[in-house]
Amino acid sequence: MGEFELSLSSLITVLLGGLGVYLLLPRGTNSTDRVARLVGGVLATIALVLMASRFGSVLPVKTNEVIFYVLAGVSVVSGVLMITSHNPIISALWFALVLLSNSGLYLLQGAEFLSAATIIIYAGAIIVTFLFVIMLAQPNGAAPYDLHSREPLLSCTAGVILAWTLLGTLNYACTYEAKPLAERPKGSLLVALPSQATVAKSLATHPESIIHANKPHVDSLGRTLFLEHYVAVEVVGMLLLVAVVGAVLIVNRDPAKLTAA
Amino acid sequence: MGNLPLLNNYLSVGAILFTLGLIGFLSRRNLIVMFLCAELMLQGVSVTFVGFSTFHGSWGGQVFTIFSLALAGAEAAVALALIVVLFRRNETLDISLWQDLREADQPPVVDEFDAAEVDSEPVYPELTRSGLLPGQGRVPGHDHRTIDEAIEEQRHEPVEVPHA
Repeated sequence: MGEFELSLSSLITVLLGGLGVYLLLPRGTNSTDRVARLVGGVLATIALVLMASRFGSVLPVKTNEVIFYVLAGVSVVSGVLMITSHNPIISALWFALVLLSNSGLYLLQGAEFLSAATIIIYAGAIIVTFLFVIMLAQPNGAAPYDLHSREPLLSCTAGVILAWTLLGTLNYACTYEAKPLAERPKGSLLVALPSQATVAKSLATHPESIIHANKPHVDSLGRTLFLEHYVAVEVVGMLLLVAVVGAVLIVNRDPAKLTAA
Repeated sequence: MGNLPLLNNYLSVGAILFTLGLIGFLSRRNLIVMFLCAELMLQGVSVTFVGFSTFHGSWGGQVFTIFSLALAGAEAAVALALIVVLFRRNETLDISLWQDLREADQPPVVDEFDAAEVDSEPVYPELTRSGLLPGQGRVPGHDHRTIDEAIEEQRHEPVEVPHA
């Protein structure tokens, strides 16, 4: 089967989802728009179910499979509701739900530290700062410009094209990788994933980077971070400092006042 | 080497989140919602990174995601400072008011909506009316109408408003 035919199967799902999101995007408050939102919600749900059926039963443990479906579903649905809700405060709260379900997905993959860090930093600090600025600037909920999206058709078309490209390629690459080397079609645009031996060889030069299931999690992650990536850690620390100083200077227009006080 | 279909699932979730962020960023007009959508795109990339990290059994993806968390923090600080400054100038978060910054050959966007439109009428909670009319039940034998009865009577006879 060619690359194009295989990716056609995901086109219907993506188109339905794109149409659903298009109808869901805010376009005023009268009753026909409410009907459009309802229809859009139904279409997006159908697309979600089609998408889930495409995943198939692939996960090794049944419980994990159910948890994955629930978390991924919550994440995607909250993402849709986040970009379509009228009120920016509600948007921020839906984004917090996206973060929570994403940290669940990290946990499912054995990334405990990252899961905790996402909740603490993103949901705990960044979202709260967002909510603070929203309350400061727009305490009355939805403003007129929140009720009308700009060029929803064009942006949804762009989104459909991007999603089709990504999902179609993923779909094709998955079947491509699953075949043994000799049976893979020639002349494919895809580059095969590195073989197990290649990965093992490249990881052997960075022994701290290998995940060992029986070693303590945060201990080995910390070793990787501060042995293999110490320069990057320093650079990121510097960047955070510069960002904080920059933010203070941007908000206070007159730096002389800061030093005078 | 990990489970390939499992990797495909996580990459698909990441791709969908990224696309949703893109659609939101292109179509929404509120500065803060646009910025939230950029963060949603970052989340999609993070899911992808962690998926690859598990697939290859290497910490690399998770380390990348930790750095992107720090970057998101720095980005949020600077962007929110900018949003506060922009809000101080125009008293609104509408991105359309900054369309002077568009390319020289682009036509300006004209709004078609009614600026006075609001989402919906505020809904106030309604309490059940009960008991006596305030101030009337204190004198025994004077007036024991309930509030409902008093309101019903007031409908028929107009109340004289005392002048201050």
